[in-house]
Amino acid sequence: MFGKVLIANRGEIAVRVARTLREMGVRTVGVYSSADADPTVLRHFDERVRIGPAAPARSYLNAAAVVEAALQTGAEAIHPGYGFLSEDPDFAEVCAEAGLTFIGPAPEQMARLGDKSSARRLFRDAGLPLLPGGVAPAATIAQARAVAGEAGYPVIIKAVAGGGGKGMRVVHGEPELEDQYRLARASARMVFGDDRVYLERYLATARHVEVQVLCDGRGNGVHLGTRDCSVQRRHQKLIEEGPAPALSPATLESITESSVAAVLQLGYAGVGTLEFLVDADEKFYFMEINTRIQVEHTVTEAITGIDLIREQVLAAAGQRLRLRQQDVTIRGVAIECRVNGEDPARNFAPTPGRIDVFHLPGGPFTRVDTHAYAGYVLGPHYDSLLAKAVVWAPDREGALDRMDRVLAEFEVTGPGVRTTIPFLREVLADDQFRKAEHGTGLVDRLAPDGRWTQRS
Amino acid sequence: MDPDTPPEATLVALSAQLSRIAKDLPGPLRRVRVHAGDTAVEVEWQEATAAVAAAPAPPAAAVPPDTPAARPAEGEPHAAVPVAGEAVLASPMVGTFYRASGPSEAPFVDVGDTVEEGHTVGVIEAMKLFNPITAEMPGVIKEILVRDAEPVEFGQPLIRIAVGADGLGAG
Repeated sequence: MFGKVLIANRGEIAVRVARTLREMGVRTVGVYSSADADPTVLRHFDERVRIGPAAPARSYLNAAAVVEAALQTGAEAIHPGYGFLSEDPDFAEVCAEAGLTFIGPAPEQMARLGDKSSARRLFRDAGLPLLPGGVAPAATIAQARAVAGEAGYPVIIKAVAGGGGKGMRVVHGEPELEDQYRLARASARMVFGDDRVYLERYLATARHVEVQVLCDGRGNGVHLGTRDCSVQRRHQKLIEEGPAPALSPATLESITESSVAAVLQLGYAGVGTLEFLVDADEKFYFMEINTRIQVEHTVTEAITGIDLIREQVLAAAGQRLRLRQQDVTIRGVAIECRVNGEDPARNFAPTPGRIDVFHLPGGPFTRVDTHAYAGYVLGPHYDSLLAKAVVWAPDREGALDRMDRVLAEFEVTGPGVRTTIPFLREVLADDQFRKAEHGTGLVDRLAPDGRWTQRS
Repeated sequence: MDPDTPPEATLVALSAQLSRIAKDLPGPLRRVRVHAGDTAVEVEWQEATAAVAAAPAPPAAAVPPDTPAARPAEGEPHAAVPVAGEAVLASPMVGTFYRASGPSEAPFVDVGDTVEEGHTVGVIEAMKLFNPITAEMPGVIKEILVRDAEPVEFGQPLIRIAVGADGLGAG
């Protein structure tokens, strides 16, 4: 096991990782930018190194500074959290060259799985169904036309290097295809520096369901159930729950078992999340794999009782997976709500500012992961996630009621600061959501054109 | 699926505009925001000492400036409150500070030495690269705040310099 681990991240996830490491008796090194020189947050780490100015490119994305900080403090491993360097195979390689363990998959594996086109091919070959469409990038408009014709309209064009919902285009019919194809390539080149795109059938109303897996890279692996993340605004998740509701036991079994079989076949190591779209007939289609810990891992922790960060660290330390599938029991229902410093009435625009009042909710089966507090300044440099509220209950209805109570208790105010709380409460009260009949279109229905009006 | 995506033409025009603005900024580019819904460009730049949010859009966000601060909660303050007539050279990166170019070499500077702007006062090794640290203005070295071969972090004060060619107040 590692004696000391550096956490190459900030905000709630840095605190979250530090907590488990402390419980494991591992010393922690926190890194921070000038914008995050905040003793209230930094007290969670045993040692601290300032790695750069506020700009992420010169601090949290600065691989050289992070590695230097690790070498300087004698850390043996680096936990990348999510975002920033967590899915950067080059960073993982730099770590390896410096004799540091990157807590995540090996660089070659990250590279192969991070490229959506090669990931789709690998998982198709490992037995997972894909949406009708091309596995290879469509290099010409003629290829795009052929793929779209075969898949059937509407189709969606996605960047091979894409992520976080950026740069996707929906094409409803052949006449639009040529223009949209060119625009998709141009914007992929601009945003990702890689203009390769692929096409697949677009499902207008689908559920976003994901499977959490955990493997030790020695042929042992388990799934830790499913999560539903259909409540998204422009592909940014707002509410996640587990297990995925309203799917038949047969579908749940099939999606989880085929996921584990696929990652084992690929020799995967560590925690991973396979994302699927599930249509009205409960047919599921593999979209991509995330090779890092996810924001919503807390949902899985609540329904399984398993600390995912701990398992991730143990796997990276080369330990054999002790869990067997029969040890994993999914109990009850958990929901996570993302409390972001954003204005739902203004297309969820970030609202930086100082938080004067920060009253945390509490009570039974309630967890809040946050780095914020009264007096915290939500800066403009990083994402707007302030806190994750997570509740558990024996059934979904109880969990929804509990979450509404939690959000009613949660008070965040400050000059200019808005949060997603009132919007989240409206989603929780929504009839379709209550009945678990919602799909990825839910947020657009409640906030058409990104403009949500609060009901009084 | 993405109804708010603007026509690429607007985006391209905004980007072009942006690169023109970026060239004329009074300081290094810090942050850029391009909107295309109702067309907007926001640019933040860094001023000589503190960072200033130049973007008019978000309401009054207090941006902590990039000034050196002590390592919090560690009881080892960096002891470098700038005094009038003095400048403090801060480390531009995480690395290891060296006072000389080699173990048997003489130090670049000692207390009492007069330095010119651009004079090398130390080096910081990061990822096996040696980065020279230079005086930002003429003056006299008053204090060297870190030991040879000591690890330093970003923004850590390294050297106090009495500003002025003849070293005002240097004794």
